Amino acid sequence: MKVDRDALISTIGKMKSEGFDYLLKITAVDYVDHVDSIYILRNFDTSKDEILEVTLDPADLWVPTIIGMHPSADWYERELCEMFGIAIKGRNASRLILEKWDGVDPPSRKSFAWYAPYKTIDDNK
Amino acid sequence: MTVTRINVGPVHPSTHGVIRLVVDLEGDTIVNVEPHIGFLHRGVEKLAESRMYMQIPPYMEKLDYVAPMSYNEAYVATVETAMGIQVSERSQYIRVILLELQRIASHLLSLGTLCNDIGQTFTAFMWAFKDRDIVLDLLQEATGSRMFYVNMRLGGLREDLPADFSEHTLNTMDYLEKRIPEYVAYLEKNPIFTERMKGIGVITRDEAKQLGVTGPVLRASGVNYDVRRSNAYYVYSKLHFTPKSLQDGDNFSRYKVRILEIQESVRLVKSALKALPEGNAKGMQVKLRSPNPVNRISVVNRELPKGECMMYMVADPQKPYRLSIRSPSFINLAAINHMAKGERFADLFGILGTLDIIMGCVDR
Repeated sequence: MKVDRDALISTIGKMKSEGFDYLLKITAVDYVDHVDSIYILRNFDTSKDEILEVTLDPADLWVPTIIGMHPSADWYERELCEMFGIAIKGRNASRLILEKWDGVDPPSRKSFAWYAPYKTIDDNK
Repeated sequence: MTVTRINVGPVHPSTHGVIRLVVDLEGDTIVNVEPHIGFLHRGVEKLAESRMYMQIPPYMEKLDYVAPMSYNEAYVATVETAMGIQVSERSQYIRVILLELQRIASHLLSLGTLCNDIGQTFTAFMWAFKDRDIVLDLLQEATGSRMFYVNMRLGGLREDLPADFSEHTLNTMDYLEKRIPEYVAYLEKNPIFTERMKGIGVITRDEAKQLGVTGPVLRASGVNYDVRRSNAYYVYSKLHFTPKSLQDGDNFSRYKVRILEIQESVRLVKSALKALPEGNAKGMQVKLRSPNPVNRISVVNRELPKGECMMYMVADPQKPYRLSIRSPSFINLAAINHMAKGERFADLFGILGTLDIIMGCVDR
């Protein structure tokens, strides 16, 4: 389900009241022209998962924090901030969690400078 | 009272991998625990973006080196979903048998190291490792390896089960069925064990949901959710799998859920072996070039021994565009501050032991 960034907090709040009260994961995908921030929520009563996608402009990378509604978002948001350079508004999530270096490029972005980008057999043709 | 800060680690404070805990204490009561992770971070998600589909399973196995096959299967199932590949019925049964054997081995290791952590050395530790070894013998017989198996192939397995496997496994399962009550009798009648387990590190049902904990930790707090039933895959529903849950949410419940799960896994392995159908279990041969994916995004949930793993894969032809792994240990470890607050410093390691974290899985 696509969600607007401004409506993220209200959507997650509404879903929580409808039983989607377990946060499974926050992650992101860098599609180069845009970045999708992905929230996966679960309803234990119906065993249903709902995937929320928030499309972000790479020049304006931020999402609001949902830590007030889902405390389990803490480490996921820190990971998002570190790996994708997505700022988390409403809290300080900038402390590094997985990496111990202060790199310029967020490592999970496609722009990250690889030592040797791998090519498939098709690319080599 | 003044607050004392103690640094635990970054060598392993118990036996689960490299982690550093900064603990604030008032006397010997814990005020705050801050885990520092990332010492084993290898960037597996990023590495996966640079390898072709069937070059990735060996990396997946190194995520959880105590139950490598579970991660391998979760990844291969994600690729199968992306490519729309069906798994033959015999392969499904064999996968369930091997995965449950892997779960027994993982839970036994967890039990052994837990007893080590809380000073319940040395009997239970030796028992658990000896019994785990017997289960590893079975996995070696089936796959040729004791630690890293890489035996999952698209649509099946690398090879079918050997001729005597069924008999050996049934014998071992009979042995474990008699053996597990011995663990229970030995541990639960022992005040050193029970006093350090009961009422320690409590998470209530609501807190468990809020903290996002998963697997045995979640089920010990009264949330009866297991992917094997609620979102059943393979033949779990045919084998009438029933999840095990308890209500108290303390160290003891988490230990007990794992014991009950070992017993359920033993039952599952026996029923799966008895119902094992004839047919072809061999999957596709590994070639560098695999079929092109038909689904751009695939999401697969699996119940690993440590908890629920979710793989979110965006597929490109021949290699993943993005692979995101929801590791169960990562989110379970995040709850440690909540669980340890107000407990004694010595109980921190019991709590860490019942969380059953593996740092390779936390750090990815």
